[in-house]
Amino acid sequence: MDEIATDSRIGQPVRRKEDERLLTGKGCFSDDVNLPEQAYAVFVRSPHAHARIRSIDARAARAIAGVLAVLTGEELLADGLKPLPHVPFSMHPAEIRLANRDGTPLFSAPHYPLACDKVRFVGEALAVVVAASVAIAKDGAEQVAVDYEVLPAVVDTLAAAEPDAPRIWEHATSNVCLDADAGDRAATEAAFARAVHVVRFSTQVNRVTGVTMEPRAAVAQYDAARQRYTLYAGSGGAVRLKDDLATVLDIPAAQVRAVMRDIGGNFGTRGMIYPEFCVVAWAARRVGRPVKWTCERQEAFLADYQARDLAVQAELALDAQGNFLALRSSNVGNAGAHPTNFSPLQKGVEIMSSIYRMPCAFVRARAVLSNTSPTRPYRSAGRPEVMYVLERLIDLAARECDFDRIALRERNLLRQAELPYTNPFGMVYDSGDYHGAMAKALELGDWAGFPARREQARRRGKYRGIGVANYVDTASGVPRERAEISVHPQGRVSVVVGTVSNGQGHETSFAQLVNEWLGVALERVDIIAGDTDIVKVGGGTHSGRGMRLISIVVLNASRQIIDKGKRIAARLLESDPSRVRFDAGRFEVAEGGRAVTLFEVAAAAERLGDLPEDLRGPLTAFSDETVKEASFPYGAHVCEVEIDPELGAVEIVRYAAVDDAGRAVNPMIIHGQTHGGIVQGVGQALYENCYYDPRSGQLLAGSFMDYTMPRADHFPPFDTHISEVPSTTHPLGMRPAGEGGTTPALAVVINAIVDALAELGVRHVEMPATPERIWRAMRAAAGTASGNSSTPMPQAQ
Amino acid sequence: MPVVSMQVNGQTVRAAVEGRTLLVQFLRETLSLTGTHVGCDTTQCGCCTVHLDGAAVKSCTVLALSCEGAAVTTIEGLASERGLHPMQAAFREHHALQCGFCTPGMVMSALAIVSRCGPDLDQATIRRELEGNLCRCTGYHNIVKAVQAGAAAMKEADRP
Repeated sequence: MDEIATDSRIGQPVRRKEDERLLTGKGCFSDDVNLPEQAYAVFVRSPHAHARIRSIDARAARAIAGVLAVLTGEELLADGLKPLPHVPFSMHPAEIRLANRDGTPLFSAPHYPLACDKVRFVGEALAVVVAASVAIAKDGAEQVAVDYEVLPAVVDTLAAAEPDAPRIWEHATSNVCLDADAGDRAATEAAFARAVHVVRFSTQVNRVTGVTMEPRAAVAQYDAARQRYTLYAGSGGAVRLKDDLATVLDIPAAQVRAVMRDIGGNFGTRGMIYPEFCVVAWAARRVGRPVKWTCERQEAFLADYQARDLAVQAELALDAQGNFLALRSSNVGNAGAHPTNFSPLQKGVEIMSSIYRMPCAFVRARAVLSNTSPTRPYRSAGRPEVMYVLERLIDLAARECDFDRIALRERNLLRQAELPYTNPFGMVYDSGDYHGAMAKALELGDWAGFPARREQARRRGKYRGIGVANYVDTASGVPRERAEISVHPQGRVSVVVGTVSNGQGHETSFAQLVNEWLGVALERVDIIAGDTDIVKVGGGTHSGRGMRLISIVVLNASRQIIDKGKRIAARLLESDPSRVRFDAGRFEVAEGGRAVTLFEVAAAAERLGDLPEDLRGPLTAFSDETVKEASFPYGAHVCEVEIDPELGAVEIVRYAAVDDAGRAVNPMIIHGQTHGGIVQGVGQALYENCYYDPRSGQLLAGSFMDYTMPRADHFPPFDTHISEVPSTTHPLGMRPAGEGGTTPALAVVINAIVDALAELGVRHVEMPATPERIWRAMRAAAGTASGNSSTPMPQAQ
Repeated sequence: MPVVSMQVNGQTVRAAVEGRTLLVQFLRETLSLTGTHVGCDTTQCGCCTVHLDGAAVKSCTVLALSCEGAAVTTIEGLASERGLHPMQAAFREHHALQCGFCTPGMVMSALAIVSRCGPDLDQATIRRELEGNLCRCTGYHNIVKAVQAGAAAMKEADRP
């Protein structure tokens, strides 16, 4: 590593505490948990995109030796299980609300853990076989005979929105399950009427899936004597999982314990309860044995929540000088088969104008149901899509209206003095140096040196392009979080938090906070999360809320520990609390030099029976806060590509990123987050696509053979830079840093590709910009320009 | 059921297995060596990479019975009483892991790269050779640095 940590405080690139365990094979992921006498579950999944379940005949499956149970939706309803408790919107107070334009209530439909009446996407689970081994359970699943009445299916976003499209839910009037307006329509119409330039852009943002490297897995146990369930399964947060499972099982939350240790990635798609988790818990009670399910990769492609899938038609109005006047857009998000989560649509709408001065805007936001796996937030939910749309519009405006694309951005980018700024949807950007971020990104990407590199590329027969994209992110999520700090006289500090680490390194970065404020060495700090018998409150890990909220509650709790400690130390040091100061883990009397350590104070608190009531006993403190401010991380990325004119293949040759973290707790971890985020964004831009066949509704990208994953040899080294302009709405100035890598990556890659091909007349290439698409775009543009159907080679200039 | 015996991390193991048992199942379920992970079942992600008689294999497509008499090394077999293997240490030093799920396979592949290509590795070679290992968290950037540094450290320590 380039940077060496000098201590373990905030700001240091401290090496991670969790790594030794994970590097030696001692991690504990969901599938590593095994319980005595456990049975195994295999799900029967729909081979059809849309079908009515006429009947299920499980007799042959039940007859197989070793099959313990076959359970279907019928038994599930008979046992009184409830639908999954989806929360369709972010309810964070800083965010906009989307409501139907005609005033009708939001459409809802029950999402049962097993399909009961119809199957609505390929891969939807409708029965489970529980057996003594996975192999027997698979044999059993093959013997479950389902009589389907196959129905017409629709998977495409805009096709599903048509009035005559096959109806996913019969009680709906159409598949459009949300139709909302946001912004000021009249002002926007007026601005467009007086605009000198109007640029238009239509796109279908491709559907992708999270592809956590650890497939989901769950083991559940039912303790009949205590009527209590324990579920071991990785998710975005333990408390939420416990509460949601209790809701589905229709029992008090106290009768559920949720446990998760190491979690092999989340990215949002793993963020909440899944049907299979509920079914294994229920099955464990039914068969009287623990039940384990491990998802296979093909099942993950079919039945993990998916993401993005947004059809956009957008227009940008400009005046003669290039000042943005208004933004107008239609955004149609594909919700999939169940109306589970519209927050990507919501979050995308509310910051669609990004960090540019936009006097007014209007968006019609629709969500549409289709015969596809339900969609959910995925890394930077909703924001990468709209940043892509706006940054494409800006590049198109520059090209079509003859502006320099940097100058056009500089003209409209908000200046520091204009902040806080209320955007046309009502979101308030608190602070930041947007111009500084872009300037730094252009410097890192050597924008000025690009013409020479393009010329060199021409001589090698390659088209070379460069792109830039600015971005803003809305970090919100569940506003409430809690930390409970205990100082143990044996020399350890434990911190119970309501988040879980999905790879972000919380055991290290949260311990750095404790090191900073309590002066305790990192190796003496235990971060405890992921077990609801210990963790009572907490919103989990999503929407950049981990460090942002944990830092606040750990600081508050640390201050209480110090205040209590001063009073105890005063007693030990025979002084007055006001004269005791705390520094580097020691309480000292200012003038004397006599001191006691934090741990000696903790021991005294437990030992001295005559301390005041509130000091007696274990030295602990907790902070439970509801943080109403959202946070707005921002930054700018620059990407450079080369394109082979004969193959249409794209090579990313340079990538520079500037992301503002406000105050970086562990820059090593933040750089790592950015690297991974970039690759997820580039993956969407160039490779990944959950492709459903429009006629059959079959998922054709159902394995790593046909869902292209970003690989090591697709990328150059990245040049990432952390900007630290303190946020004015966070007590420590922090901004989340987990999603910035992804948010502008879609835009910057496509902008670079189109820049490379612009001289051929290529206006746009849709995502994923595969070699085939690029090759066709080049040939189509060349054909239009010259009547010649071959792709011209670049000419040295 | 047939019986298979092999050396795993230097120890002789012997167990009765079904004919269809995969090496990864044998390691994880029979021997409880859960450091080797299953990420895809179809030999595409590399999470289950182990060494079989010195060569990197994806243990999700090797039958346990076919390993009769073979020497298998898993991630659990790398560290010694002296501490982490230099490649493991390099992964930690260069922050080459986040969630840690792909990590055992990455480390086993990295060692195979060193044995195939030697310890003086350039980044392009490492990127090309890591083609069979997927990571969703790190963007590969720090993994590439770690493999390069780990290889150099192995040369320094002259430790295979």
